[in-house]
Order: sequence, then C-alpha cells, then structure tokens
Amino acid sequence: MTGLCKQHALKRLCTLPRGAGLCLGLIALLGAGDVFAHAEVGVAGGLASGFLHPVYGLDHLVAMVAVGLWGAQLGNPAIWMLPITFPVVMAIGGLLGVAGVPVPLIEVGISASALALGAMVALNMRPPLALAAALVGVFAIFHGHAHGTELPSAVNPLAYGVGFVISTGLLHLAGIALGVMTRWPAGDKAVRILGGGIAALGAFFLAGSVGFI
Amino acid sequence: MRIASFAAALWLGLMPNAAFAHLASTRFGEFYGGLLHPYSTLTHLLPWLALGLLGGLQSPATARWVLLAFPLAVAVGATLGSWLPPWPPVDTLNLLSFIVLGLGAALALRLGRPAFLGVAALFGISHGYANGIAELSGSERLLYIGGVACAAYVLIALVTAAAQTLAQQRQWGSIAVRAAGSWVVAVGLIFGGFTLLALGA
Repeated sequence: MTGLCKQHALKRLCTLPRGAGLCLGLIALLGAGDVFAHAEVGVAGGLASGFLHPVYGLDHLVAMVAVGLWGAQLGNPAIWMLPITFPVVMAIGGLLGVAGVPVPLIEVGISASALALGAMVALNMRPPLALAAALVGVFAIFHGHAHGTELPSAVNPLAYGVGFVISTGLLHLAGIALGVMTRWPAGDKAVRILGGGIAALGAFFLAGSVGFI
Repeated sequence: MRIASFAAALWLGLMPNAAFAHLASTRFGEFYGGLLHPYSTLTHLLPWLALGLLGGLQSPATARWVLLAFPLAVAVGATLGSWLPPWPPVDTLNLLSFIVLGLGAALALRLGRPAFLGVAALFGISHGYANGIAELSGSERLLYIGGVACAAYVLIALVTAAAQTLAQQRQWGSIAVRAAGSWVVAVGLIFGGFTLLALGA
C-alpha cells in the first residue's frame, strides 16, 4: 500500500506543470548559494543601474524606439540589420566614454538623434541602406559615449554594461514591435504620428541642450 | 489539485538545502562548488552563452560535437589552472572570447567542424584555467573539476539546443540569435576596453 502511495505521489510529481518544474530547478540552483567561492559583487546593482540608464533619459528612450520604428518601416534587411549593428557601434562610443576621450556636443547629438530619427519615421524617408546605417551609426556613438562615461564608476562595470546593452536592445525591440503596425494603412499612419511625436520631443531636448529654453 | 502539486514541488524544492549539507559532509560538496563557480560570474557566463549561440547557427552535425569538446576542454583547463599559478594572458584571452564568439554569432559565421571545435577548445581551456582552484587537492579537486565541466556541459547543451531550435523553426529566430550575439560583442568591447585600460593605468 505504502509502495503504491509512493508510486502515486511520484507520478503526480512527474506530471507537474512545466512552470513548476522550472521553479523547482531554479530553487534547487539558488538553494546552493553557500558554495559560491569567487562570486562577483554588485551584479544586481550594476545590472539595475545599467538597465535604467537608457530608460531614465527620455531622449535616449525615444531615440532608441525610433531606431526600431524606422527599421520596421524600412523593412528587410534594415529591420534586422539596425538592431544587430547598433549595439556594436554603440559599444565603440562607450569605449570612448570609458577611456575619457571627449566627444563634443554629446547632449546635442543625443537630442538631435531623437529629432532626426523621429523625422525620418514621420516623413517615411527611405534613403539607401548604407546611408540609413551611417546616420544611425553616428548617433549610436553619442548614445554609447553617454552610457560609457558612467561605467567606470559602476559598482560592477561588467553588469552595468550588460544592463545598458540589454535595455537598449529591448527598446529597439519595442520600436520594431510597434513598427509592425505599418502593415495596415491605419497603423502606418499611427507609426508616422509616433515618429512626429518623437521628433517634437527631440526638438524640445535640442532647444534645451543648446540653451534656447 | 495543481495548486497542491505546486505546493508539494515548492516544498521539495526548498528541501535541498538540507540535502546539500549531507552531500557536503560526504565530501560531495566540492562538486557543487565547481558546478556553480562559472555561473557566479558574468565573465564566464556571457562568452559561454555566445558559444552556444554560435553553435546554434552551425549545422547540427557540427554543433553536436561541441557538447563533448567544450566540457572536456574546460576540464583540461581547470586541471591546468588548479596545478599551475595564475597566468594573466588567460584573462586577456577570456576577454577576447566575448568578442570572437559574439561576433561569430552576430555575423552568423558557418565554420567548418575543425575550426568551430578548435575555437571552442581554445576558449574552453582558457575559461577552465580561470576556474582552477589551487587550494583543493586529491578527490576534492577532482570533484570540483567535474562540477566545472558539468556546468559547461549544461549551459552549452541548453543554449545550443535553444538557439538551434529558434534559428531553424522560427523566421525571426536566427535574427534573435544574431542580435543576442551582437549584445555580447558590445558588452565585450566596453568591458574589455575598460579592463585593459584599468590594467594599463
């Protein structure tokens, strides 16, 4: 009888929902925390500060969404080329920031990126791919530099880097997801209006960064 | 009933703390130390992830060999690292692995089997070396190295399988794998530059 019960219990355990299985594995892994010997410190803090850096700056946020929107609007191959090349070019800008190499007019460049990329989406501009990639690449340097400057002071620079790269990538993804609306005529208009809004915000930030307001 | 099953699973899941204590007292503890050591630092986790992504973009016939080659190379590296003193070029090689493996995935490079396994073995040895622990000896060292190699196997098997499935079964799958590769390159460029600059300063 006891054997039967055990069998029954085991069967029940084996037929747990997939989510529960995952939870089990995760708990078992996390439960062994006391065997860490050389664990990094400040991973959570570094990840959080890196992740939030592009999100807290509205100028960064809207420009990154505009990259995704424009990629989706341009279609293949821009839709996948921009999100793959952007992080790498941004990292080069980040490296300049880490090294303390000054890039002039950083804030102006970031604001101008929101204005220009938003305008491209609003006007449904379709330049040759190389030109679009070059424009986005130049702006990526400014964004990367702004993130990279903060990196050396992070508690965990590696985690900070992971955080802001993932955050930037997810903002692109958000733009691409919104850009899928361009498949429908009404959605296409909505995306262009969104681009106009981003351009307007960019103009506002630009006016602020050059001291007009 | 599902809630009851879930509660049972949760309760069982929380129990292994006690179970680990018993295993540690039977000298199995170092295996878990080795198993978790590479997962406790992003310096190893990210390039291994990139190797899995790169494996996901190779032909299955090529990719499946990495499941054997990489853990073995990590075990060899961890053995060397436990015997020999720390060697700074290993850390530089590990930083380079972010960029080489991430770039390979971002560009969706289709490598031949010898080239792919050669890269996996090289970085397996370098990462294994960095995971070596000189303080252990005898069976404890063996258990620890076994744990590190198992960690390499589990991560590579899961990520390679997931990347293969995504790349083959979803239209956007290979783009997602390549984008994740470019993220690793970006992190490697910034962190590698930061580390090398800090060393030079």
